[in-house]
Amino acid sequence: MKVPLLSAMVFWAFAILAMASAVFVAFSRNIVHAAFALLGCFFGVAGLYLFLSADFVGIIQVMVYVGGVLILFLFAVMLTGKIRNPEKSNPSRAIPGGLVTMLVTLGLFGYLAFTTPWQVLPTVPTGPTTSQIGDALLGPYILPFEVASVLLLAALLGGVLLAGGVRGRSRLTGNEQDEAPRDSGGNT
Amino acid sequence: MTLTQSVAGLLPELCVLGALVLMLFLDLLLGRKDIRDPRSTGQILTAVALVGTGLAAFFVVRTPDLPGVMFGGMLALDPFARFFKLLFLIVAAFALVFAAMSEEIPRARLGQYIILLLTVTFGMCLLAGSRNLLMAYLSLELVSIPSYVLAGFRRGDRRTSEAALKYVIYGGIASGLSLYGFSLLYGLTGSLDFRELITGLTNLAYSPQSKLVLIVAIMMSLSGFAYKVSATPFHMWCPDVYEGAPTPFTAFLSVGPKAAGFAVLIRFVQTALGGTLEPVIPWPQLIGLVAAATMTIGNLTALVQRNVKRLLAFSSIAHAGYLLMGVSAGTDAATRAVELYFVFYLLMNMGAFLAVQAVRARTGSEDIDGYRALGSRSPLLALILAVFLFSLAGVPPLAGFIGKFYLFASLLETGTMFFYGLAFVGVLNSVVSLFYYARVVKAMYLKNPRGKAMPVPLGPGYSVLLLILAVPTLVLGVYWQPLINILSTAAGMAH
Amino acid sequence: MLSYEAILLLIVLGIAISVVFVLISKFLGPKNPNARKKSVYECGAEPQGSARKRFPVKFYMIALLFLLFDIEAVFLYPWAKLFRELGFLGFVEMGIFMLVLIVGLIYAWRKGALEWE
Repeated sequence: MKVPLLSAMVFWAFAILAMASAVFVAFSRNIVHAAFALLGCFFGVAGLYLFLSADFVGIIQVMVYVGGVLILFLFAVMLTGKIRNPEKSNPSRAIPGGLVTMLVTLGLFGYLAFTTPWQVLPTVPTGPTTSQIGDALLGPYILPFEVASVLLLAALLGGVLLAGGVRGRSRLTGNEQDEAPRDSGGNT
Repeated sequence: MTLTQSVAGLLPELCVLGALVLMLFLDLLLGRKDIRDPRSTGQILTAVALVGTGLAAFFVVRTPDLPGVMFGGMLALDPFARFFKLLFLIVAAFALVFAAMSEEIPRARLGQYIILLLTVTFGMCLLAGSRNLLMAYLSLELVSIPSYVLAGFRRGDRRTSEAALKYVIYGGIASGLSLYGFSLLYGLTGSLDFRELITGLTNLAYSPQSKLVLIVAIMMSLSGFAYKVSATPFHMWCPDVYEGAPTPFTAFLSVGPKAAGFAVLIRFVQTALGGTLEPVIPWPQLIGLVAAATMTIGNLTALVQRNVKRLLAFSSIAHAGYLLMGVSAGTDAATRAVELYFVFYLLMNMGAFLAVQAVRARTGSEDIDGYRALGSRSPLLALILAVFLFSLAGVPPLAGFIGKFYLFASLLETGTMFFYGLAFVGVLNSVVSLFYYARVVKAMYLKNPRGKAMPVPLGPGYSVLLLILAVPTLVLGVYWQPLINILSTAAGMAH
Repeated sequence: MLSYEAILLLIVLGIAISVVFVLISKFLGPKNPNARKKSVYECGAEPQGSARKRFPVKFYMIALLFLLFDIEAVFLYPWAKLFRELGFLGFVEMGIFMLVLIVGLIYAWRKGALEWE
């Protein structure tokens, strides 16, 4: 299959963006920079989704990962104790072991990707996929769809119940006004 | 089945979900810090949750026995799923009562505990019927996410926080690995349905260039399940989490989610890998080797433990190994043996943890040293704990022995050298396990207490509950035939 | 691939314009730095304390809630696209989905997860 030059260039731009950002995430010594580098990684992956004709997933990737998960990561990073000295906050230890693991997985999955007889669709699908996804979600996949809402509920409850206990502790926030637990307001 | 029939088949799960939603509102109404009577509030919450699980169990039993698939093949409605759902609901009911009795869970937060426990139960029930990779993954996460929170439920305790964090990180890795494996399986077959997977995989298995990718995909897919059942090499979270979590939840975790992992694992290997793949991809041997490694590591590490909860954690890893032997054998007899073992395992393992909870509540100690001379300080408790421990070790005439007997017998029935060898490793392991269970018993009966020997009073609640678990452990050890009759069809799976 | 040339053009133009503006002001703008101008910009007020301190867990909580409802919104798109075709059954199915999350929202709200105090 002949790929137009412009498409190929854009593909490589996205691929390199994703890869370079991922490398930066792994090796940056500053954990805040590493978290920000995820932006490029997520964005690059979103571009790759578009190349797979998965326009809906691509846009969702930008909305949820760049718009939500990244923010969550940043706040999580800023919750950690290492944030006081960000320059040395991400010591990349165990590089030899990591390198070996990386090379092995790269070799294995690279080999598999090129030698496996994957299930291939007869034609490359074009056009927006949102309607098809809607049909699938509310049709054959209705149960996973509804269970996904319970899963979101579980995550919500877990978050509320975990963070609920931290509220009273001023040690974490560094300011004094979060004493006077609000639960006592229930008396009135 | 049509959508209406499917929804009707989902009634047990809906009962649990209904109880969960009701509990959310009840917790808002009653679960405040300034409630006047936290004790009775806790009782109300527990009672409501128990009614919910009881109703769910009623619908599980009442479902007609025809094997079928619901929601276009997402969930199976078959005797196999029915058995496990019933098991989960019973485990959940016990865990609810344990929690209501425990001091480790503050009364004001009992509602929160019940909410999370019901969410896990909902996920477990779905997992029992899942016959689609997407459904299995969602249910698995539904079991995992509230479990992470429950593992860290005891606040302000460094060990607890560390355990919960380890649990999350290991869980994330295992879940990511299995998701990658699922995606490979999907890429190979174009389907997520277990039944369609086997046709697709069998077609592929005979072309030499797809053998490697099949092995990689299957191994990665299994890792998520291996994590839930705490099989090597995904068992590392187990001792820390069991030790750090509140004891009632540890009791629940050691039986419920483990059984749920086994339920989906058995269904996956039997319907999605099945027999046709076996000549090309030797998955039974693969699981058999994991089983041998798991039980050996579990038993050998348990020998050197000083904390009883940690000891029981390694014992539960070892039990995962025994049960994996049944999974690897893959016959209906082996599946029934696994189910039978889970009935006994529920009784003896939950019982053992309840005894640990009772000792902790009275003496504040979880160390073996705290169990010194328990035989004279609290004769009933020591006797019952000894029954549970010897049953876990598989000493006749207790239930655990019968469970092991059927498990090993199902291995020998296959008639292959590999399973003979595996059964031999299993027997050797059982012998080793006797040493550490006996260490606790020895401390209870043969050691002098450190300092003054304080009597450990056992309240009526603990006594009754311990007896409820201990009497069947004794009776089923000599008269188990009715259970075999009940389970005679419980290995049946929908196609 | 679908025809995304327009989006590509938009991205390229967006990046180009912002880079050009920054460069123009860098080269053409007059620079008279003093101590006050070089200090950290904090909404015009005097900067207080170090910027490098730990954030309260509140922020994380809000981000988590945002993320969950972001995902809910994602699920709404395909449904909204097919609202007419899916009919009443689709409406009920989506209603159940939303209801479960609304129950969670009520719980989080009443538990004080949304309060900043």
